[in-house]
Amino acid sequence: MEILSVRNLGKIYKGMVSYEALSNLDLSINQGEFVGIMGPSGSGKTTLLNMISTIDKPTSGEIRIDGEDPYQLSQDKLALFRRRELGFVFQSFNLLNTLTVKENIVLPLTLDGVGIKEMNSRVDVLADKLGITSILDKRTYEISGGQAQRTAIARSLIHQPKLVLADEPTGNLDSKSARDVMEILEERNREDQATMMLVTHDPVAASYCSRVIFIKDGQLYNEIYYGDNRAAFYQKIINVLSLLGGNGHEFPSVRI
Amino acid sequence: MNFRQFAFNNVFRNKRTYVAHFLSSAFSVMIFFTYALLAFHPDLRGAIVSNSTMLTMLGTMGMNISQAIVFVFSFLFLLYSVSAFIKLRKKEFGILLLLGMSRKQLNRMLFIENVVIGAAAMITGILVGVVFSKLILLICATLLAVEHGLPFYLPGKAILLTAVAYLALFIIVAAFTSFMTKKGTLAELIKSEDKPKPEPKASVLLSLLSVLLILLGYAAVLIFVIWRILSFALLFGGVLLVIIGTYFLFTQLSVYVIRALKKRPHIFFNRTNLLTISELVYRMKDNAVMFFMVSIISATAFTGIGTSLAIGDPGLAAMKNPYAFSYISFNESDLKNNSEQKHIRLIEETLRREGFAYQMASYTPTYTQDGFALVKLSEYNRLASALGYDLEMLQNGETLASPSTISQNSKYKLEGVGADTVRMVNFEGNWEMTMHIKKALQHIVIPEAYKIYIVTDSDYDTFNAGNLMNVNYVEFVVPKWHDTRAITRELTAAIYNGDTNSMQYIPFQFSALVTQWVESRQTNGILLIVSGLVGIVFFTFAASFIYFRLYADLSRDEEQYRMISKVGLSRKELAKTVTRQLGLMFFLPLLVAFVHSSVAFIALQQLVDFSVISHTLAIFSSFLVVQIIYFFVTRWRYLNHLYQKVM
Repeated sequence: MEILSVRNLGKIYKGMVSYEALSNLDLSINQGEFVGIMGPSGSGKTTLLNMISTIDKPTSGEIRIDGEDPYQLSQDKLALFRRRELGFVFQSFNLLNTLTVKENIVLPLTLDGVGIKEMNSRVDVLADKLGITSILDKRTYEISGGQAQRTAIARSLIHQPKLVLADEPTGNLDSKSARDVMEILEERNREDQATMMLVTHDPVAASYCSRVIFIKDGQLYNEIYYGDNRAAFYQKIINVLSLLGGNGHEFPSVRI
Repeated sequence: MNFRQFAFNNVFRNKRTYVAHFLSSAFSVMIFFTYALLAFHPDLRGAIVSNSTMLTMLGTMGMNISQAIVFVFSFLFLLYSVSAFIKLRKKEFGILLLLGMSRKQLNRMLFIENVVIGAAAMITGILVGVVFSKLILLICATLLAVEHGLPFYLPGKAILLTAVAYLALFIIVAAFTSFMTKKGTLAELIKSEDKPKPEPKASVLLSLLSVLLILLGYAAVLIFVIWRILSFALLFGGVLLVIIGTYFLFTQLSVYVIRALKKRPHIFFNRTNLLTISELVYRMKDNAVMFFMVSIISATAFTGIGTSLAIGDPGLAAMKNPYAFSYISFNESDLKNNSEQKHIRLIEETLRREGFAYQMASYTPTYTQDGFALVKLSEYNRLASALGYDLEMLQNGETLASPSTISQNSKYKLEGVGADTVRMVNFEGNWEMTMHIKKALQHIVIPEAYKIYIVTDSDYDTFNAGNLMNVNYVEFVVPKWHDTRAITRELTAAIYNGDTNSMQYIPFQFSALVTQWVESRQTNGILLIVSGLVGIVFFTFAASFIYFRLYADLSRDEEQYRMISKVGLSRKELAKTVTRQLGLMFFLPLLVAFVHSSVAFIALQQLVDFSVISHTLAIFSSFLVVQIIYFFVTRWRYLNHLYQKVM
């Protein structure tokens, strides 16, 4: 079942010099997929993500999430849509410093007026899966970056959204924490069939996806699928990146 | 956690931000309320009483103007605090909206917050205001020994006014908050971590205009006093022009100066200058607004205090009556004052014993049928030389008009005597003479409530022929007259034999300037209290502006300096940068305030004959000292805080 469908998407930033960030982009994500978006800086990855996140309006084209065009919704309906159907993970975590870990996680449920009992049981289950049970009552400044990102992931999953959107979730983390975070995302995707879309620079992070889409100059460049082992997938990603003009030549072209 | 708990946690775990906002709101309410309390005080309704009509007018107008300034600025203060508050929370709003908070929920949250903070601030502000004003009234009444101080009253009207005004304001603020979150996309909100306000646009035209406006404002105020055009609109317009001019001065001039500094690499890249200047650029708009407000508020404080000091000044009493002691002796043909010599000797001996330098002169006026009092030129010249004024020359048939009251003096100065000649008829009505008025004299030498003319000794004798009533005025000039309270008491007791209320006719009268002065100070005591209070209130206002500004920015500064100190900034350099920034914040507005109030004092000088320079210097230096102390305390606390957090 198609969860996300993007048709002819275009975005022009108006200014002194207008700049076309995206042009005629098509994209489709099915239920249970884990899709990575990669591309050099300025290729339009974040623009694409922001538009799917409903926080930046496209200039042309159409986005449908679970058959619904969020830009046709009224402001209140859009808020409800975000609250129920989407989950977000950011590079800089974006947790509220005034709340504890647990309170941050249940915030989407709080906004929706879910009962306390229901909240507690969902948090307990999810925290156990993410390994953050011991820090639930801590404040955000008392936890490490990896823990903060796991908290943010828990927040993005607590309301069982149709689509989880992640913007460079490993960008602020050391390699160990980054791996933990990616494993958690992959596990949630595998076990709970959560549909995810991830924007990243990091080929290691991208190698956890089931499919990676490459964007260059605001257009689709390439698309590769996970085969049967991560090392090979990683190598394929590196190859495409080097073709894209990244620093792929620094890696040996043949590894196996 | 339900929604209510969420909103609650959000406030209580973020105390620092909220406390700063709450305190500044409460403070703004307090200032507003204190002033409203004075404005509605039953004893202050109507004009303020002073012994000079001009100063009375000025006092009343000053009250009105400072009232308007308090109203406007306490509102601006609150808005300033709110916008800083919202800026800090923009990102939070972005995250909440992204997580699916509806606008309705956000507005409800903001509304609840604003209502709670507003109500708490209002109650706190009014309560503190009541206590504060009561305290100040008590202290003033004791210090000034004012017998009829301002009685304390429970100000229903003031409370109502404050409550209504601030209720409206907090509603506006709530609307303003949701408006501020509405503009801009969500993406901008989330990324708006600490985006500075854009630099104000600098235009040559506006910079010139700012100087022009200030000069025009000064001119309006000076016109007001020099030509005595007693129109409220003129004075108010002048003040308004200066305020607008100052605003542009800071918003335009600061941009120019800083840009000029940036363009000079050997200055800009010279050690810590880079930090100082870039920090100034970063907050140029905030700084400009703050400088503007602080300087206007301080200028108002100085002028208010200066005017009140002038009204209570000893010189004002002396302006009316220049003599420390007056002894009037009535001599009729059948009833002579036999103790005249004895009393004069007593006064002289007492003065000499207490070490007061003094000069003595006397005059004996004669009266015409038209109610003029004529004084001999020779007597006038003795009095004038005792007072240190120029001596005059006259020929027979000529006369000098001598002013006897302040209003007459200013009328003579402004319009002249009105006629070239004056016709005089002697008391019996059998002799008349038309005299040529040579000129009007500049000073009050003979403070009697008649029209006084000085004539030559021989003309005097002609008019005085046959006059049996002979009133001799013996005047004492004592430069240090305001220290004569004790000997006045002694002399009064000795001269009247302790019997001042006797119904019996006594052929003499003794009066002392110091007694009049004390009396006038008592009547002016209320005015003095009010103006002193205004000054204190305004200055606290300005000082807390700076304080709240620092308080709100502290966490950002901490972050900034932590980063820089990692790069390698020594304590000394940190202290230097901080000192410079604080120095600018504390003293630049003060300087502008000094300039503004100097002009106000120059204007005031036109209204009074005594010098206001000593008051001006006293006010400026005492405020400078207070500000310097405040500066060093703040600097010390601020640096200590930074050292602890950063290094």
